[in-house]
Amino acid sequence: MLSAHHLLDEIIGSLRNVIAPAVPDPYPKAQAYMAAVILEFISRQVEERHDITREKEQALNESLRDLTAILAGKEPPATDPTDREARLCRLIEWLYSEKDRLGPQTFALANRRVREALRQLLDQELQVAGKPE
Amino acid sequence: MSQPTQEQITAYVQSKLPHAKDLTLTQFTQTAGGWSHEIYTFYAHWQEDGQKVTRGLCLRRDPGAGLLRNLSDLKEQYRVLQALEPTPVPTPKVYWYEDDPAILGGPFFVMEKVEGEVPNPWSKIGKQYYAEAAKRGKLPRSFIETLAALHNLDWRAAGLDFLGVPEAGTDFALREVAKWESLIQQSLRKPEPVLTEVLMWLKANAPKTQRLAFIHGAYRTGNLIVKDDELAALIDWELQVLGDPMYDVAYVLSDLNREGSPLLSCVVERELFLDSYQQLTGLTVDLEVCRYYEILYMMRSTAFWLSASGLFAEGKNKDLRLARTTYSVPVVLDMAAKALGF
Repeated sequence: MLSAHHLLDEIIGSLRNVIAPAVPDPYPKAQAYMAAVILEFISRQVEERHDITREKEQALNESLRDLTAILAGKEPPATDPTDREARLCRLIEWLYSEKDRLGPQTFALANRRVREALRQLLDQELQVAGKPE
Repeated sequence: MSQPTQEQITAYVQSKLPHAKDLTLTQFTQTAGGWSHEIYTFYAHWQEDGQKVTRGLCLRRDPGAGLLRNLSDLKEQYRVLQALEPTPVPTPKVYWYEDDPAILGGPFFVMEKVEGEVPNPWSKIGKQYYAEAAKRGKLPRSFIETLAALHNLDWRAAGLDFLGVPEAGTDFALREVAKWESLIQQSLRKPEPVLTEVLMWLKANAPKTQRLAFIHGAYRTGNLIVKDDELAALIDWELQVLGDPMYDVAYVLSDLNREGSPLLSCVVERELFLDSYQQLTGLTVDLEVCRYYEILYMMRSTAFWLSASGLFAEGKNKDLRLARTTYSVPVVLDMAAKALGF
């Protein structure tokens, strides 16, 4: 997801350079310019949702820990252990490629744990992107 | 890349019609739709052999930083439309293709402007339009008959095999997965585990194709020009492929294309669609295969939105509509996850 500050900067630029200059009537034109000014102030007030990042990190850490236990050390070595999302992606690919060797029970157990973590990650993102209740 | 002016387009049309005198363009409009290509419509008027001639034209240009990135191919679209002209599938007649960027700054082609309307199915007014047309019955039948005509088409005889003929079995589904995965790879800025799970599931569960057909790839209201409650032309030819007809059927059945409407693609009852389509094509709709393709479409939509928001983030395209799609990615992935049971 693009950061809120990046998006606000672009919207401000669009209001100032594309929308307002194309509006012929003075009143809506002034409104468009003023919206750009106000968004600049709002941009200083807005903080990115670090709580979402924290929750996602926790979900990733817990799932990777559980998967290590389920796979009893058989999983591929992590290229960059600090990039947990990349590590989970690699693990998902590995699980499908090793499905036959792992056997249906281990695959199903590991896949279930992966999907549980994915649901947690999605739910965090949907706090911003989902439709309001 | 700057946008072409009316004067540049007038000069181009004049160059293609050397016998046309006093050529002018009227009602010159750049349409708001289109995420991949710029679309300009206008009427050309001229004198020829003492007669006044008027022709409605539509110009489609590749802006260089469109949604499909390097997967977009205007020349292929032009060739497809050329091949479809003598067939029962209603399409605009194409006139000229140019790939010389010196003319209008990028590849483009000119086709007939088909008269009719394209109500937006995502809008309230559009939904109402299609719901009323559904009650009258003519448009839903035309919708089904055109899809059947597309799938019954002898694509080899029509010269469409240049699109690439998949092998029997799972080749078609895997080709589609690979195509959209390549768009994801061009667009992705960070690892996306949910998408990885969806992609791996799609690769592990690809269905076999029951028969090869010519597929539109985005068969829905909004990509159809309607006149007098009939489909006057099928448009938006950029996702066409030879493959499993269930791919198009799944798109019609998909919830992605009806947003709250009880009607498929906002215009046709599910039972009517399934019964008539099967009768007209002799195919059996395999709902399990359609479910697979519906999940593939969710992955494809994710690829589109990642590409769109990526183009914006990379500063290649400043259109705010592209920026908005950053919020669509988790929503479509959520649909795919739910379809897969998590």
